[in-house]
Amino acid sequence: MSHRDDRDANGEPPASAPGDYEESRPVLASERTDLAWTRSAIAFIALGAAILKIRPAVGLPVMGLGGAIWLLPRISPRRGNALTSRRTLLVTIAVTSLAVVSVVLTLAGPPSRGLRP
Amino acid sequence: MSENATAGADEGSEPDARFTMANERTFLAWSRTSLALVVGGLAVAQLLPPFAHIPWGRAAIATPLILLGAAMSVLSYFEWRANQRALRRGAPLVRSQLPRLLAFTIAVIGLLAGALDIYSRVASR
Repeated sequence: MSHRDDRDANGEPPASAPGDYEESRPVLASERTDLAWTRSAIAFIALGAAILKIRPAVGLPVMGLGGAIWLLPRISPRRGNALTSRRTLLVTIAVTSLAVVSVVLTLAGPPSRGLRP
Repeated sequence: MSENATAGADEGSEPDARFTMANERTFLAWSRTSLALVVGGLAVAQLLPPFAHIPWGRAAIATPLILLGAAMSVLSYFEWRANQRALRRGAPLVRSQLPRLLAFTIAVIGLLAGALDIYSRVASR
């Protein structure tokens, strides 16, 4: 919950903003949630770009998943519960898939010499 | 704007949207943590130079990190769903096991990495 210091001594909202104070908090929470989704999408895209340098076949799909996470609410006809369910499931599948590919690369892929100075 | 409850969990009443959005943000935070663990493990395997005298050293550190990331991603999804149901029913929220799992596993992997490094250096003398 956000804490605001513009209430009076009785905890009442200021008279200058009588109607919209209580309504603004869900809007702000919605904004924070949208930003959290954007941060998550950026994390996928940035990490995909980093992986792209060492394993292009892995990096490109990771970047694509980041784009899909960001685009889904903008192109999907679903809203509300159904959209949120799909997005959370997409993120979980994306991370788990990347983990599976990473384990295969680690245990069965060509050995890497690592970065050397 | 996100709303609460997943498909198949429509019982109960519509809770305050701020609580469901807080649940969503918590899930995303754990997902980003999971992603960081997976990519961190991949980086250990691909970017670290091999341990001297321990050909399996990098894999021994990377694999638990990656598996931890995958496990946390899946567990956080199920916790999100359970919390959604709890919010609709007005029930207590699920007590998360993820912080304990994360702390314990990272500690063990850290000790393992330290032990491998020390052994590698001693064996190289």
